[in-house]
Amino acid sequence: MFQKILIANRGEIALRIQRTCRELGIPTVAVHSTIDAEAMHVRLADESVCIGPPPARDSYLNIPAILSAASITGADAIHPGYGFLSENAKFAEMVAAHGLTFIGPSPEHIQMMGDKIAAKATMGRLGVPLVPGSDGAVTDYAAARKAADRIGYPVLIKAAAGGGGRGMKVAPSPAELEDAMRIARAEARAAFGSDAVYLEKFLDRPRHIELQILADAHGDVIHLGERDCSLQRRHQKLLEEAGSPALSAQQRDQLGFTVTAALSTLGYRNAGTVEFLYQDGQFAFIEMNTRLQVEHPVTEMVCGIDLVREQIRIAAGDRLGYRQSDVHFSGHAIESRITAEHPVSFVPSPGRVSLYHAPGGPGVRVDSALYAGCVVPSVYDSLIAKLIVHAPTRPEAIARLRRALDEFAVIGIETTIPLHQRVVDEPSFQASDITVHWLERFVSD
Amino acid sequence: MSRIPLDPDAIRALAGILHETGLTEIEIAEKDSRIRVVRAAVAAAEAPVPPPRPARSPLPAAEPAVPLADAITTHPGVILSPMVGVAYLFPEPGAPAFVTLGQAVTAGQTLLLIEAMKTFNQIKAPKAGTVTQILVANGMPVEYGEPLMIVEN
Repeated sequence: MFQKILIANRGEIALRIQRTCRELGIPTVAVHSTIDAEAMHVRLADESVCIGPPPARDSYLNIPAILSAASITGADAIHPGYGFLSENAKFAEMVAAHGLTFIGPSPEHIQMMGDKIAAKATMGRLGVPLVPGSDGAVTDYAAARKAADRIGYPVLIKAAAGGGGRGMKVAPSPAELEDAMRIARAEARAAFGSDAVYLEKFLDRPRHIELQILADAHGDVIHLGERDCSLQRRHQKLLEEAGSPALSAQQRDQLGFTVTAALSTLGYRNAGTVEFLYQDGQFAFIEMNTRLQVEHPVTEMVCGIDLVREQIRIAAGDRLGYRQSDVHFSGHAIESRITAEHPVSFVPSPGRVSLYHAPGGPGVRVDSALYAGCVVPSVYDSLIAKLIVHAPTRPEAIARLRRALDEFAVIGIETTIPLHQRVVDEPSFQASDITVHWLERFVSD
Repeated sequence: MSRIPLDPDAIRALAGILHETGLTEIEIAEKDSRIRVVRAAVAAAEAPVPPPRPARSPLPAAEPAVPLADAITTHPGVILSPMVGVAYLFPEPGAPAFVTLGQAVTAGQTLLLIEAMKTFNQIKAPKAGTVTQILVANGMPVEYGEPLMIVEN
């Protein structure tokens, strides 16, 4: 087992990782920017190293600083969390080259799934159902026109180097295709350094359903069920549920079987999430995230498995030690992502939290690095807390979420708690009569 | 607007209460007058960082490090580490140190090396002055923003 784990992240996920390391008895190193010097995970870590000024580029994305911090503290493993360097294949390679263990999949698989075109091609070959698309990059308008005619409008133009909901443009009809292509390519080049784009059929009322998988280094691959993440605004998830109200256990098993077989063939290792759009009873693969996800807690609540712990164990070479038939799902879990934004205008609201009171009681879990007196900086992602509830049934989970949201007090900054309070009272949400477009319409009304 | 009578004793008493209790702000008001005493603000984005604490508690330190540490990190002549690495005071083992206490240095003169990922980076004096404090030992790991030396004019 590792002697010392360096946590290459910040905020709630750094605290999450710190907690599991502590329970495993593994000493930790927290790296942080100057503005995060008083962060909760820094206080709780065994050692800390300041690695740079606030901008992520100079701190949490600063590979030399992070590797240097590992070197001077004698860390032998690095957990990258999510975001930042977690899906940076070059970083994963460098960690290994320095004799440390990267707690995650191999650089090759990170690279493979990071290229969204290659990922689709690979998964398609392995029998995973895909969104009808251009079968590769479209390099000019003529090729795009041909592909779009075959796929059928409306089409979605996606950046090959994008992902996470970014770099996508819709062309509703042939007349808009040329302009949409030009803008999509320019934006892709600016945001991701590559203007390679591909086309997909635009699904007009899909749900977003993703499957959590775990794979060890000995060839065992299992899934831990699905999450429904259909509540999204500008492709950013607001709320997630385990399991999906739209799927039966049989559908879950079938999807799980197909996906785990594919990943087993690939020789994938560690945690990963395979994302689908689901419409009219059909699944369509969109991308795979080769890291721990923000919404992993809902899976943990229904399975009773600590995903960070499994990541660490797998990276240290342990066998999973259990099979698919040993995984049992119990009850229903919902997570509300709470951000430091105005609940109506979504204007960012960084600043000092003068009062913080998290909800508690049965079936309530809060993953947050906030504390009274802490400062939410302006230079990072606005996620400040995840409120997760678990109950035997979905209606009870919704009641629990409502109760917990009502107890949650964060004073000093604006948060999206009031938005979540409105959502849980919505009949459409309660009936789960939603698609990935539902929330956008809800907030603009 | 009525003048607020200046009561230094009241202010000193409030400051004392801040220190004792760990509060960051006290405000008392009576009729038209109001006194507010605030503990030094949270470090601004570019301000130097206090030295690392081996804390393993969710509670903040009772007092921000020591007043002496603050005096060092805010000293006008302090040289702060621009990177994470290991500090070396000698160009190589057996050679004389780059600088000694009391030595006069010129702008751009190398004061020490910081090694990171097998490359050695020269840390240079920004201005001419005298080395009045050497705050790191040879071979000591340093973090970003750590005070290395003080060069005074």
